[in-house]
Amino acid sequence: MNNVIECNNLTHYYGKKQVYENLNFQVSEGSILGLLGKNGTGKTTTINILNGFLQPRSGECLIFGENTQHLSPRTKARIGFLIEGHIQYSFMNIRQIEKFYSGFYPNWKPAPFWELMSKLNVTPTQKISTMSCGQRSQVALGLILAQDPDLLILDDFSMGLDPGYRRLFIDYLREYAKAENKTIFTTSHIIQDMERLIDDLLIIDFDGVLAQTSVNEFMGSFKRFDFVPENDKTDLKKAPFVVNLDKVKNKVELYTYSSESIVKKYLDDNNITVSNFAQVKMGLEDAFIGLTGKY
Amino acid sequence: MWKSIVYKEWLKIRWFLIGYTLLGILGIGYLFLTVKHGFAFSGGKNIWNSILFMGHQFFSPLKYVPLVGGLTIAIAQYFPETVNKRIKLTFHLPIGENKALLMMHAFGAVSLMLSFLLFIGMFTGFSLVYFPVQMVTDSIISILPWFFAGFAAYFLIALIVLEPEWKFRFCYSVVGGFFLTIYLNSPFTGAYGPANTGLFVLAAFLSIALLFSAYRFRKGEM
Repeated sequence: MNNVIECNNLTHYYGKKQVYENLNFQVSEGSILGLLGKNGTGKTTTINILNGFLQPRSGECLIFGENTQHLSPRTKARIGFLIEGHIQYSFMNIRQIEKFYSGFYPNWKPAPFWELMSKLNVTPTQKISTMSCGQRSQVALGLILAQDPDLLILDDFSMGLDPGYRRLFIDYLREYAKAENKTIFTTSHIIQDMERLIDDLLIIDFDGVLAQTSVNEFMGSFKRFDFVPENDKTDLKKAPFVVNLDKVKNKVELYTYSSESIVKKYLDDNNITVSNFAQVKMGLEDAFIGLTGKY
Repeated sequence: MWKSIVYKEWLKIRWFLIGYTLLGILGIGYLFLTVKHGFAFSGGKNIWNSILFMGHQFFSPLKYVPLVGGLTIAIAQYFPETVNKRIKLTFHLPIGENKALLMMHAFGAVSLMLSFLLFIGMFTGFSLVYFPVQMVTDSIISILPWFFAGFAAYFLIALIVLEPEWKFRFCYSVVGGFFLTIYLNSPFTGAYGPANTGLFVLAAFLSIALLFSAYRFRKGEM
């Protein structure tokens, strides 16, 4: 399958502070990939590099084979971009903004835009600046759908949206992307939203890429085991299979890619007696926190 | 494409441009009402005497009118682009970034020029009612640098507003402020005659300065 996005050895610093070093990832055609990471790990930095708003210290990103620092107008026409906070030209009303953008895209499809607008309680002459954040998100989404891009880059699409609008946004987007074989690269600070939307994930931390795989594969292989150690003398963090370990009072939360049998064998081999041993079912958010830690 | 750019820019500046132009028309009307008043109550002799021998410039109230126009249109046009870094939307349009900016800039400059031409036309027309051609010509030579200052201010404000870093904005403002005084210096009628071409060329050079701020924005300076 073709890669729509390809980032190679991406390194960036803000002053002397390293954001990441030699970050590599790809997004294949037709997939919906979520970039997950804590604050400050470089999600928006990556989005900015992808859109040509930031020159990385070294490395490069290619979109449809073109370096993102010099995207041609033809390639830009194939990319729909949602700015964090659903920023649009707020001095325009929805009729004006549709007219404005339609002049740039030969394949402009006004129907999806007006279909979405009909769901909102707004008039065609209402200025975007007077709309709620949720309504603005629908305007931004409608414009992207009308543009009919092959790749959608969405920077924190959940920001400022109430649960209803978030659900509307995600359902509409996923249905559209799957029906039209669109590729989506997205970030969001609300992981539950990502769980509904994405097929693949890329989790980055201050040390680099922690995981790049499909959501199903990740959720199938990454596990959490809870137990209460009776004789807690061994430092479990040093166990080779432990990805992360958290203690809440007496209870240990152990995160690993290994199986229950391997964990239990390690405990037995090290004479660690435990009680209440159980594998805990996780959502994507639990798994994300388990992988990256709470702090 | 250019129609869409013009449309967006028009939506941003239309009320500011219309308001500024109307105020300018009223200002020029008031200026010549004052001239008429002077002729009626002080007598033509005294007016001529003050203009020819005492260096009085009846048009001096116009001095900062173009400058205010340049500032107003530039802020109306570029400030909305910087709120929430909205300029990213422009850079993402399927058109070269510099081309998009220069189209926006050209629209603003042409709008300003139309307004200025209207003012200069009105000024010339009214002046010819009261003064001989030679005096009107000298007056126009004297007011032209003020209009060039209006364009220079427009270009400089675009550079400053689009600049992503405050310390650079401050430096540009200080340098730009001193630069503009070149256009507004001489109090003598017609003194700028030999310099007008050079002043025009200087202002024209400034027209591409905003590309530097845009370049810095796209490189991620903040």
